[in-house]
Formats: sequence, structure tokens, C-alpha cells
Amino acid sequence: MLRVKISEKLDDLNSLLNEIKGASDEIGAITIFVGAVRDLGKDGGKVLRLEYEAYEEMATKTLEKIISDLKSKYGIIDAIVEHKIGSASVGEDTVYVLVASKHREEGFKYIIELIERLKREVPIWKKEVTDKGSQWIENI
Amino acid sequence: MAKVKVKYFGMLREMMGVREEEYEVEDATLADLLLKYIPENHKDVAEKWVETIFVTVRGEVAVNRNGMPIIKDHFILVGGRNPDINYRLRDGDEVAILPPVGGG
Repeated sequence: MLRVKISEKLDDLNSLLNEIKGASDEIGAITIFVGAVRDLGKDGGKVLRLEYEAYEEMATKTLEKIISDLKSKYGIIDAIVEHKIGSASVGEDTVYVLVASKHREEGFKYIIELIERLKREVPIWKKEVTDKGSQWIENI
Repeated sequence: MAKVKVKYFGMLREMMGVREEEYEVEDATLADLLLKYIPENHKDVAEKWVETIFVTVRGEVAVNRNGMPIIKDHFILVGGRNPDINYRLRDGDEVAILPPVGGG
């Protein structure tokens, strides 16, 4: 299945979990990563919101390539990645990664590498707005 | 004459005040678009634009051993590919200028 979604609204996490669970009877582990907005800004201020934007066609294409590359590398069964764009408040979920695998180890490794590559390679930008001002956050 | 679409993202979109715009260029390379057409059309931020996109030394754009300007931290895509800075623009090209990413 290997599904990517970049959208202003993430799908319900429980629905995604049920969806990926149904991918195969060989699944022995589902590993989940949830990225959320924390309250402390890089400038030390209180975060009011994050504003995400993407070069959507390229971001989707790049993420699809990454999840497919990593599927071959770690031998997982299936993966779903969703990334929010638009405005997000403190506590709100911004990234979901769900990985179905035979064993837990490849699921953990898959998620660690996927998030690292997502932060370096996928054309998504984030502006942090705090009570002290605003700044674009660079992952380099 | 070639019509090209230019797309800006993140802090560049904010700096330029537009998400996308069109340019009519005459026998121009990607370097011409970035160093001539765009700054001329955005005179208020021209200097900041050049310093953001290119490596500069004492205000001058640095060039590589082939005499080509050196891009700083940004990806320039034309039709989804990352061409040389001396790529000759064609009618219908879509140029996307991507600042350092910040997703996750």
C-alpha cells in the first residue's frame, strides 16, 4: 500500500492504525510516530502556532520515494506517512508515521531514518510564531 | 521569447510578497533569471534576494571555476529537476526556488 498524504487535516490515527493492521497476516509489530507542536519556541518564547507550507507535488513525490527506498532497505510490510500543512496549535499533531513489520526492530529503524530524511529532503517549510516574534525554522 | 513561471516558498515567498509570478525572458539562462530578471522586478528586496540565494564576497556574487555563480543553501528546480545554473530557459518552464527545508 505505502501511502503518503500531505494535507491541512490529518486522518484519524485509530483509523490509520486499523487500516495498516489489515495489510497482512504476517504483521507482528505496528510502530507509530506522532509529531506534535510543543510550547517552547526556538527563540525561548511561548509558541502561539506553527505555519507549515509545502511544494506539494514535490513533497509527495519525495516522500513516496523515501518510504519505498526504506521498505526495501528494512524489509517492512507497509507504511503510512501523513504530514500536516497550514496552521497548527500547541499540542496538535503534525506528523503521523505508521509502520507494519514482522518484528519490532525493523519498524523502529525505519521510523528513525524516515524522520531524519523527511526533515532533510522533503520540501516542507515551517514558520514558528511565538509571543516574541516569528521565524522560519531550518533543519540544517 | 519564453514565458516561465517562478514559484517561491517559505521565507522567500514572504520576502518577495508573491507565491508565484511569470516572466517573459529573451534567450535567457537560469542564472539570468535569478540575477537579472527577478531582482529587476523586485528592486526593494533585490540586494537581500541576491545575498539570500547566492554566495557573496564583499557584496559580489561568488563564481566557481567555470565562472558560474554559486547558489547558497537553496535548491532550484525546473520542471522538478535540478539543472545547471547555465540551463537555457524554455517556454513553459516552471522554476521552483526552495529555501532550506523545515518539515517534521
